[in-house]
Amino acid sequence: MQLAYYAVTLIFFFFLYSILNWGLNLQFGRTGILNFAYIAFVAMGAYITGVLSLGKPVAGTGESYILGATLPFPIPLIAGGLAAAALGLFIGLIAFRRLRSDYLAIVMISVSIVLYDVITNYTPLFDGADGLNGVPAPFSGALSLNPNSFLYVFTAFTGLVAAAMWWVMGRITRSPFDRTLRAIRDDPDVVRGLGKNVFGYQLASLLVGSFFAGIGGGLLMDFVGAFNTSAWTSGETFVIFAALIIGGLGNNAGAIAGSLAVPVIFVELPKLLPQIGGNPALIPEIDNMIIGILLIVTLWFRPQGLIPERKTRFDRPLTPGSRILPQFARRGPLARTAGTAEAGRE
Amino acid sequence: MRSSRATATWGRLAASFHVVHDLILSIGFGLVTASILALASMGLTLQFGITNFVNFAYGDFLTLGAYFSWVANAKLHLSIWLAMIIGALGMGLVAVLLNQFVIGPFARRFTNLFYVLIVTFGLSLILLNLIQAIWGPSYQQYNVTNQNPVHLGPFLLTADQLIIIGIGAAIMVTIHLLLTRTKLGKAMRAMSDDTSLAMVSGINTRAITTITWFLTGALAGLSGTVLGLNISSITPSTGETFLFVIFAAVILGGIGKPYGAMLGALIIGLATEMSAVVINAAYKLDVAFVLLVIVVLVRPQGLLATKGKA
Repeated sequence: MQLAYYAVTLIFFFFLYSILNWGLNLQFGRTGILNFAYIAFVAMGAYITGVLSLGKPVAGTGESYILGATLPFPIPLIAGGLAAAALGLFIGLIAFRRLRSDYLAIVMISVSIVLYDVITNYTPLFDGADGLNGVPAPFSGALSLNPNSFLYVFTAFTGLVAAAMWWVMGRITRSPFDRTLRAIRDDPDVVRGLGKNVFGYQLASLLVGSFFAGIGGGLLMDFVGAFNTSAWTSGETFVIFAALIIGGLGNNAGAIAGSLAVPVIFVELPKLLPQIGGNPALIPEIDNMIIGILLIVTLWFRPQGLIPERKTRFDRPLTPGSRILPQFARRGPLARTAGTAEAGRE
Repeated sequence: MRSSRATATWGRLAASFHVVHDLILSIGFGLVTASILALASMGLTLQFGITNFVNFAYGDFLTLGAYFSWVANAKLHLSIWLAMIIGALGMGLVAVLLNQFVIGPFARRFTNLFYVLIVTFGLSLILLNLIQAIWGPSYQQYNVTNQNPVHLGPFLLTADQLIIIGIGAAIMVTIHLLLTRTKLGKAMRAMSDDTSLAMVSGINTRAITTITWFLTGALAGLSGTVLGLNISSITPSTGETFLFVIFAAVILGGIGKPYGAMLGALIIGLATEMSAVVINAAYKLDVAFVLLVIVVLVRPQGLLATKGKA
């Protein structure tokens, strides 16, 4: 029974990190946006989902947060995703102005530190460092679940959400839109030279990726029932980056492999280990160092990750002015790339 | 009636005197923060100028240097000033080793900037957790005698704070002399302008890069120690929370420009401390972030512009 409980918890985190990895994969793997603030978007989703499920703060408990409401279940989650996307829009409008990628990363990392600082210190927002507690478990009232059966039901629900988001992300990463994103990743100047609105594409990518982050954060909030500042240090962003790169940057299957390889095995599994020498912090510390070393070793020996991104292949070389005929487009790898000639004027 | 109005006027006047007085005091604290920031920003920007990528582990360089000094000061009972030198030299050495075995190989092998940026981000996680595993997550204090602040002109500063300002000024002059009067400094400036051209002119770029990493580490160690001394305690995340303030100073001045870093540090140092007069002091460092955003929007190349760096 105990074992099954742990196993299902791990499955939940596997689904959760897959969703988070897909979002970052679109931003970093496909568009080349070095979003070192990724976990802040997850946190935004979690906080908004929380405050919209908790209801008004109860006077006298010392808790304080904005927007207290008790909305029916999927609405807070979706609102969390949208709030994260709105944060993405706000930051993107600042960060994508004429910045080379390392400047962008500087802005992102600063955003993450400052948001963390403000949310910790300014208690009226999300109750400061204490964070939100006692968020009601979805479905529990309607299906009269106990904590144990909630675990199974909510994990299954998260699996459904993950499947839906996998499908959506699969559509996005096969679209002409995504080809432009990859072109921006490989050389933004060339894309700008072709007359594309690079700013708009980057913003759209950040927005969609942030929505994924927000949904992930909301699911985490509903699952755990509590969320505070200790859950979104910059180390957490790093875990997602490590998962993505070790799994295989730039492809959604790699993101799944990475979610299994890093967060599930190295972050969630060790939480179930007994502590070493009475120091509860030692295991996560050693853990984080191992993840860091694992990432650096992966980047050196296998920079393409466990499952490499598939190269776009052409059956015959594309010469200027050549068009892919529809009869060729329907079979083989060309089926995926047929839109290339059209991508110029989508 | 008239007298009450006079009292009100007098009250307003007294209040504004009070604000002016606080502002002048805060200039003193601003100079201290600016000195700490100048040390850190020069270190970051010198390394950027030579290698052309940002080191995201730089905040942890500050922390590690501060802890080295703490070990020398609190455990080995050396004076804080001697401990500070040990912290700086130790951190310089660590920076050279990190470049030699981790950062340098990545920078040479991959032309894409992403790899080396992620490696430094990874190093920051490793260093943070290493520091936490060795010295524990709670705060540590240097073994220094408590000092009463003394009046110096309009300012109210402790002797240690005055020494921090002195160290900041002395290092700035030293860096200036190094860059303008020595062969090493000229080689560094040449590399910063154009690495390939410097290389074909016979400059040993590998050696210059190693020396630069030593300097950046030593400046980080020094800066981390005086930061801990000024806020009177260090924790494993001291440097990381200060990182965006350093970024703000560096970008404000123009990234890769040592004089820009000095100017940026002065502006950010004064702005953060003076803002604490009017806003909650808990958010004073966030003012640096607001300035960073404004610079990024209005003048991303920084006050002292460099072509092709932004």
